[in-house]
Amino acid sequence: MRRLYLPTLLLMLLGLASGQTGQSYINAELQRLIQAGGQSYANTLLRQAPDQALCSIHRNKLPAEVLGPFIEEQRKSIKYPADGKLMGDWKQGEPIFNTLARGNCFSCHVGSPLNIGGNVGPSLEKYGQRGTSEAMQKYTYEVIYNTWAYFPCTVMYRFGHGGLLKPEEIAHVVAYLLDPASDFNTKPALKR
Amino acid sequence: MGRFWRLVGAAVLALFSLLALAQEEEDPVKEAEKQKKQLLEQSGGVLPSDLFVAQGEQLFKTKRGPKNASLEACDFGRGPGKLEGVVGRLPRYFFDTRKVEDLDSRIRTCMVRLQGFQPQEIRRSEVVAIAFYLASLSNEQPVTVRPLMPQEKKLYELGEQLFYLRAGPRDMGCATCHVTYVGKRAGVLPYSDILKDKRAASHWPAFRYSNDQAWTMADRIRACYANLGMPAPDLYSEPIIALTLFMNTQARGARMDLPGFIR
Repeated sequence: MRRLYLPTLLLMLLGLASGQTGQSYINAELQRLIQAGGQSYANTLLRQAPDQALCSIHRNKLPAEVLGPFIEEQRKSIKYPADGKLMGDWKQGEPIFNTLARGNCFSCHVGSPLNIGGNVGPSLEKYGQRGTSEAMQKYTYEVIYNTWAYFPCTVMYRFGHGGLLKPEEIAHVVAYLLDPASDFNTKPALKR
Repeated sequence: MGRFWRLVGAAVLALFSLLALAQEEEDPVKEAEKQKKQLLEQSGGVLPSDLFVAQGEQLFKTKRGPKNASLEACDFGRGPGKLEGVVGRLPRYFFDTRKVEDLDSRIRTCMVRLQGFQPQEIRRSEVVAIAFYLASLSNEQPVTVRPLMPQEKKLYELGEQLFYLRAGPRDMGCATCHVTYVGKRAGVLPYSDILKDKRAASHWPAFRYSNDQAWTMADRIRACYANLGMPAPDLYSEPIIALTLFMNTQARGARMDLPGFIR
């Protein structure tokens, strides 16, 4: 237990230093409970970010007065590839979309010709029909980079924001979805 | 005209049978029942979970450990040695340890106190087998968990908070799937409805036929975290007991199906 004090103290100081003034979800009692789960468990949970705290407090349904500033914060976090291209190479996007430990997109979305899709998220079947306009590319990129900018507190990972995918990798996934030549758009989607 | 209606009738019947077929494929409970029947036929009437139960019974009744004692005097909440239906009454507060304990942690407590084992030398596989034995004695009994003691009420509250907490690089949280996306699939199984479907928590410990594993609720919770790239809480730790208390309370009134048999 004693060993936990120092990292926790450091985390708290770090929180203060970065000017976190948002509402916190984890009170002293919940913190003690989480610490009882072991060091690595506690290290991850006690590092809860202010936006994660808001989703926890409101049980994933943000009230109107919180919604505006929340979305604005999320939008600010979005970063773009250095070369400015939001549509990369669909062939590099394919394995990201279809690998459990990378994008894991197929688990929740129908549309992949390689994996049977789930139905937690909306179907993306023949997503490319929407065309490749700049607006479409930007929307698709931003939803993958930080989905909370469009769907606050939804279950989908915030791939760019959470550091799970690099901006260039997200651009490859955008190409996999939008490029008319992509297998995603030319081959039939697998469904259960 | 007559032929027309006969055709319509046939079409409607076909549609209904198709719907029924589709539903049969969708329902994981029915699918598990089918698998159970198949396994029973193949093995001549013995389920893998029966073997865990038998192993657990032997571990429970044999004199073992530094104190050379069996676990028969262990109190799971109904008094020493009273084992029937205890799985449906846990987690609960115990005066001797001054802790709220779940099935796993109570077994461990008795292995320490009655048999004299050191906590770190207790084998997980033995605890699971004993849990299966106790589960077999709680089959078809009701879940009656109701937080009444202050310690239970406090831990229930914390368990509920933990259930809704989101954290980590994937913004993970139990409620995000098991409340918001109940019945939807990410992978093979639909998300169970922890808050409204009493079956969700009332079939643990369970045997998983898809990968030949014997799991207690603690293993289920830890796998949920691990599946989303989060470090899991330690076995026997308080976060697991708090979440289990919260979920088992939602299942109050359910008739238990134990040991569970699931995908």
